[in-house]
Amino acid sequence: MAAELTTDRSVLYLYGITESRPRDLPELIGVDRFAPIESIDCDGVFCWISRVPALDFEKNLARNMENLDWLAETSVAHQRVIAAIARHTDILPTRFGTVFRTEESLCKHIAKRVRGLKKDFQRIKGADEWGVKVFAIQPAIPTVSKVRSGKDYLKAKAALLPNRRPKPAARDEMIKFERALAGVATETASVGNMSRGQRGLAFQTSLLVSRSKRNKLESLLEKFAQEWAQDHRIECTGPWPPYSFVSRPENKVRSK
Amino acid sequence: MSAPTNAVVFAGDDPSDEMTLLDILDHVLNQGVVLRGNVVISLAGVDLVFLGLDVILTSVETAMRHMGAALPREK
Repeated sequence: MAAELTTDRSVLYLYGITESRPRDLPELIGVDRFAPIESIDCDGVFCWISRVPALDFEKNLARNMENLDWLAETSVAHQRVIAAIARHTDILPTRFGTVFRTEESLCKHIAKRVRGLKKDFQRIKGADEWGVKVFAIQPAIPTVSKVRSGKDYLKAKAALLPNRRPKPAARDEMIKFERALAGVATETASVGNMSRGQRGLAFQTSLLVSRSKRNKLESLLEKFAQEWAQDHRIECTGPWPPYSFVSRPENKVRSK
Repeated sequence: MSAPTNAVVFAGDDPSDEMTLLDILDHVLNQGVVLRGNVVISLAGVDLVFLGLDVILTSVETAMRHMGAALPREK
């Protein structure tokens, strides 16, 4: 038994931090698909954790993350837990793979950051994050018809390739769109390290939108979508927990 | 969410619908509160590991199918 305990050591996987502890939360299962979610009171904020095997989440985390199946399931589980809590109370989501060895070390680190966290709670109060992407609709592919020279062929062939740079008119439209979104959002953030390379992606942003303005966002998106029906498709995901709107220790908040 | 039009694709907060895995990774790997724990997990190299991974575009549905068996459904 003792030997088992040492090899099966567990660590604390942190999902996020809230200011209150909702009572009617359904039972949630953690990223290891086994252990339940618990909350720990640290300095007046609640840290949502589950106990996970140290082997998978400490020793082998980096290696596991290169396994796409593991990463897919585990990141979905991470998001699922945070989204479930977010339905009941505002949460500052933690980045994937934040692991602590003991409750003491978790609380010690929270205590160091608690003032910044309190500011973040004010910032995200009553708001959700929304992801907006605009994709250029590729025109119907013309066939390379009869050409007289190699130059003509290359010209025709070039016409088949998707435009790498948006036309100036399209760029103006994007600026207009971005401004309109900024009018509805409390804040905007640039995101998309993973999806930057998606085919046809013309514009991407994340918005922090107050729940009372959700309808405004929807109608704005629909208005642009109708105007652009021929050229662009808009994708909107959300509501997300405010992943992109929590401060980092390295980004000192500047006061005006 | 209101009825989607043809042109706007909406994905809601239930991960079983159209949120793609890519969007989830965008959020959970790159954003969120960063705390320095006893165990410091450096994710600095992550962008490189996943750069250009079109395969990752698999819909989250695949992952959800695996999850479905292990997780109790919420009401």
